[in-house]
Amino acid sequence: MDVSELKVTADLANIELGEEEFASLGREVEKMLDYFSKMMETDGMSLPSGPGRRAANRTRPDAVSGDADPDSLLENAPELEDRFIVIPNVL
Amino acid sequence: MYQSFIGLEIHIQLLTESKVFCGCTNRFGDEPNTNVCPVCMGYPGVLPALNAQAIRLSYVVARALNCEMSPQAVFERKNYFYPDMPKNYQISQFSSPLGRNGWIDVAYNGKTRRVRIHEIHLEEDAGKMIHAGDMSLLDYNRAGTPLLEIVTEPDMEFGEEAEILLQDFRRTIRYLGVCDGNMEEGSMRCDANVSVNLEGRGLGRKVEIKNLNSSRFVKMALNYEIGRQKEILDKGGKVVQETRLWNENRDVTETMRTKESAHDYRYFPEPDLPAFVPDAEFLAQVDRGLVELPAARRERFVKDYGVNEAAADFLINEKGTADFYEEVAALGADPGAAASWLQFDVRKILNRENRELAGSPLTAARLAQLLSLLSGGRIHGKIAKQVLEAVFAEDKDPGLIIREKGWEQMDDAAELAALVDRALAANAKAAAAVKAGDAKPLGFLVGQIMKATQGRAQPQMVQELLKEKLGI
Repeated sequence: MDVSELKVTADLANIELGEEEFASLGREVEKMLDYFSKMMETDGMSLPSGPGRRAANRTRPDAVSGDADPDSLLENAPELEDRFIVIPNVL
Repeated sequence: MYQSFIGLEIHIQLLTESKVFCGCTNRFGDEPNTNVCPVCMGYPGVLPALNAQAIRLSYVVARALNCEMSPQAVFERKNYFYPDMPKNYQISQFSSPLGRNGWIDVAYNGKTRRVRIHEIHLEEDAGKMIHAGDMSLLDYNRAGTPLLEIVTEPDMEFGEEAEILLQDFRRTIRYLGVCDGNMEEGSMRCDANVSVNLEGRGLGRKVEIKNLNSSRFVKMALNYEIGRQKEILDKGGKVVQETRLWNENRDVTETMRTKESAHDYRYFPEPDLPAFVPDAEFLAQVDRGLVELPAARRERFVKDYGVNEAAADFLINEKGTADFYEEVAALGADPGAAASWLQFDVRKILNRENRELAGSPLTAARLAQLLSLLSGGRIHGKIAKQVLEAVFAEDKDPGLIIREKGWEQMDDAAELAALVDRALAANAKAAAAVKAGDAKPLGFLVGQIMKATQGRAQPQMVQELLKEKLGI
């Protein structure tokens, strides 16, 4: 994989990497891509299941479950103000 | 000569009880971060589950907008980093949205234009962010609200067409009961895109406009933007491809961000959600969710009830009013009279009292009764208006009101003759003038008798009796 492509990918994923890391990661990503292309050679369509080939759709009824505990979730927030989660300004 | 190309992206929040991929309450205006759970807050290890009603309502909209309905609606992850979406991706649709290739007709300036709908897809809404000084406040109540996006092709030319499309669309979704279409609260939102080019040269460089909180602003922003772009081209300049914001205080669009390259959202299939495959039973259910849409109803009202276009427009604007009107007509009231009463007298009272027809003391049966009392001659026009006021004030049937108040029309000839005599005696001068050939005071004499009977006397009978007594 071309290093410039890898840099774009890292940038999109918000990951900062050094030149050395790019070099080693490049080889690893190459391996992954080889593995993907091998997978693409297989005939996936003949498999018995997969998206769109299920016996029935999986949906849930439109009902409020009411089992969530919002307050305990908010405890994990770094800072709160009147129930709002406070973070540094992001525009 | 320039040509402009306008397209819209409309987002509507679907009226469901719960969110699209979790069981949290879907409601506007609650205290911040009360309708949240690990799924919509993006905690690791959770699994989304598709809301059956949300997908059904989505297909209803696709059907109503004449779309080809996808035999397989696939969900994808749209990756972006912004704190309004704690998962760092939004579950949306990309490769196989639920509806494609629809259309909506827009009538403007005597012409009807068919605006193509590129696609309709279901996604989750993001949370709300408030920027305050050096911090941002996050509320995830809205995160995970079912959001339907409707994307049109750039088929419109004028801001007015976009405004009409939005108004018609809003009416349609309200008829279907899928969204309340409240642009101020944000349950319906719209971004517009517009480009200008020399005629015959195809699309120009596209500018997106955001922050459009009403259909009127959409029109104003587009027309402003078309003018701005023409001016740039006139001077030999190039329009910059960018996103602009509508500034409603200054009535101009302003640069928000310049797009250097198209976003790369790295869409990939959502592994936690199987594709939705509508079967025959589901599609039948979707069909049952359809109702007669506003445009068809307008046409039928003109044809079947003989009302004029303006009255039809008024009557069909809200489904509740149209249903009410048809109920009144079905109860035997004259359709023309019913339309006019709803359009003027009833509307006046509703506006004054700042209330809706639904839930008001005026039921279809009461309006039909009032109109029947009027057409049967038991009350006349002026009294009928008083009766209508009394229905609202006292929440009683019109028949009961006129009995209680003694408002029934006086049409007893002997009783009226006595009143006429009294009026002539009291107004000898006017009577003499009429006799001498001046017809003007006749109206005055009728008025005196009407006044004496608080408007209950049958005016035609009064006039005839007066003429008879005065020998004219």
